[in-house]
Amino acid sequence: MSRLVLRNLTKRFESIAAVDHVSLEVEEGEFVTLLGPSGCGKTTTLRTIAGFYQPDEGEIWFNDRLMNNIPPAKRNTAMCFQSYALFPHMNVWDNIAFGLKMRRIPPAEQKRRVAQVLEMMSLAGMEKRMPGQLSGGQQQRVALARAIVTQPDILLFDEPLSNLDAKLRVQVRVEIREMQKRLGITSIYVTHDQDEALAISDRIVVMNQGHIEQVGDPQTIYLHPSTSFVAGFIGLANILSGRVISRQGRRIQLETSFGNLWADAGDRTMEAGDSVRFSFRPENMTRWHEGAPNRIEGTILHAIFMGDVIDLFVDVKGTRLRAHAESTARYRSGDTAVFSIDEAAFQFLE
Amino acid sequence: MKRNDASVFNYLLLIPGVGFIVLFIGSSIFITITQSFGLLSVSGKSQFTFENWRQLFHDKESLDSILFSLKMGLLSSIGTLIFSFPVALFLRKGGAGKRFLASLIKIPLFVPALVAAFLIINLISYHGIINEVLVALGFIKKPLRMLNDKFGWGVVAIQVWKNLPFVLLILSSSLASIRDDTVDAARNLGAGSWAVLFHIYIPLAMPGILVSMILMFIKAFGDFAITSVAGPTYPPSIALRMRNTATLFQEWDKAAVLGVVIILTTIVITWLYARLAEFVTGRH
Repeated sequence: MSRLVLRNLTKRFESIAAVDHVSLEVEEGEFVTLLGPSGCGKTTTLRTIAGFYQPDEGEIWFNDRLMNNIPPAKRNTAMCFQSYALFPHMNVWDNIAFGLKMRRIPPAEQKRRVAQVLEMMSLAGMEKRMPGQLSGGQQQRVALARAIVTQPDILLFDEPLSNLDAKLRVQVRVEIREMQKRLGITSIYVTHDQDEALAISDRIVVMNQGHIEQVGDPQTIYLHPSTSFVAGFIGLANILSGRVISRQGRRIQLETSFGNLWADAGDRTMEAGDSVRFSFRPENMTRWHEGAPNRIEGTILHAIFMGDVIDLFVDVKGTRLRAHAESTARYRSGDTAVFSIDEAAFQFLE
Repeated sequence: MKRNDASVFNYLLLIPGVGFIVLFIGSSIFITITQSFGLLSVSGKSQFTFENWRQLFHDKESLDSILFSLKMGLLSSIGTLIFSFPVALFLRKGGAGKRFLASLIKIPLFVPALVAAFLIINLISYHGIINEVLVALGFIKKPLRMLNDKFGWGVVAIQVWKNLPFVLLILSSSLASIRDDTVDAARNLGAGSWAVLFHIYIPLAMPGILVSMILMFIKAFGDFAITSVAGPTYPPSIALRMRNTATLFQEWDKAAVLGVVIILTTIVITWLYARLAEFVTGRH
């Protein structure tokens, strides 16, 4: 088990910085997800930690060891690949035992440890099968078994679930998380799937264009996005701009293209006259009732029934907003409807 | 009806290629086999006999030439493999000069075997470039006998040079089909460069390695041109011996026996390699 520290990590391809001065500290046993769209640098960061790429700048520390010049074979990390990357010419047993063989673990000990992870991953009885004879889910479990059997200091996951179907993906991510908690291995998990990131992580690192946008636990990332990128990337959000016209303690009044609104500014320093960018989630813009704050009248453009909610596209004085209504409500395009936005729902963005 | 017409036409397409093989190659193989047993003889009375085969096992020159050709086939295929595998690995990984090297290495493909033999003779003959340079630099006192040497190293050298690009093409495509992830996974699990070579590259490239070795063996085993220019004065290669038997000694039946030996050896070797391939790739 290791504590992982990245200090100003930079990796360039040609002259483009795929990872741009990324600094991050991951505690022992922590499960941290790197989340972002393709090309954001999350996989490059992971592969640099594994040692497949040499950083152009910055430092990688496992505990108090500087890892920059340590070859991948000597880092004692274990990676789960998107393609599983099982050795096609070895059976399940030999695939799992490979890392132990490379570490020159005595055969008796190898046998004991492979048998143990086979049991743990419900793969007992499959040790003689070749990878080509396994289903996607089984290959995934072999890849996991092969990774954990070496007792790595850090587990690295490169979108390990993206080749599984939706149901299996949810099941396996729970299994991965339970296994990681039980073994207590520091884990770095790369995904572009926000649901997966929210479900599995202790902390999420949202990345965009090679740098870190925000680091926080899933609730913080979802409820309090700090940049418009994070607000837009995680969940649905109305991202807007306006101007502060007055302040009363924690409350501020905003002037926007679709009317004046009251918002809870928390302890942010904002004064009358400041221009601000802010966001709120569709689930915080709901049907107005007597006494509710921020009354907004708009025209329904589309009403999409989603099962648990109705997803509404609303035109308010020329601005398009997303709102949610309870699934029993009835809306038709062209209807006029009145909404309210929760004052505490406003997130002010950098 | 229309469909049938089309399929009849499809079969007509086979006539030039398959027809040629059946008519000329098939029939000549048939004639070779029957002649080796004394039938369809061109030089004497046709009569079924094992005499030609019996004599083969008492004819020292023929036996020596069979052994010599086996040796050339084996050494040339191993030699080509040893020289081309590292290059194929380099080409897979890439690096500066990759494209230049890839085109440079293809040059021998465009040089006919006989021309190649003469080119290399200039290099390795008794007063060739290599010997002259080594003597001039004082590394050796007197020139080395590399051409027409008793063992046949000159033949092996030319075979390797000539067939390197061919084998390289096969090995490169074998290595290219290995996924980068597979290699990375091995490195991640603790495999250093040698372990990756022996546990990943070689086993996964084994089908290509075996195919290129079979083809190389068959080419070198049946070689005529290179041995006749650069080979030892004795023994001749089996193909040379066969030509001599037929045209110099006018013993067509005995030449047919040697022809059958070449064909049989080729079949046996191919079969052996195929079994070996099944074994190493775990598909037995």
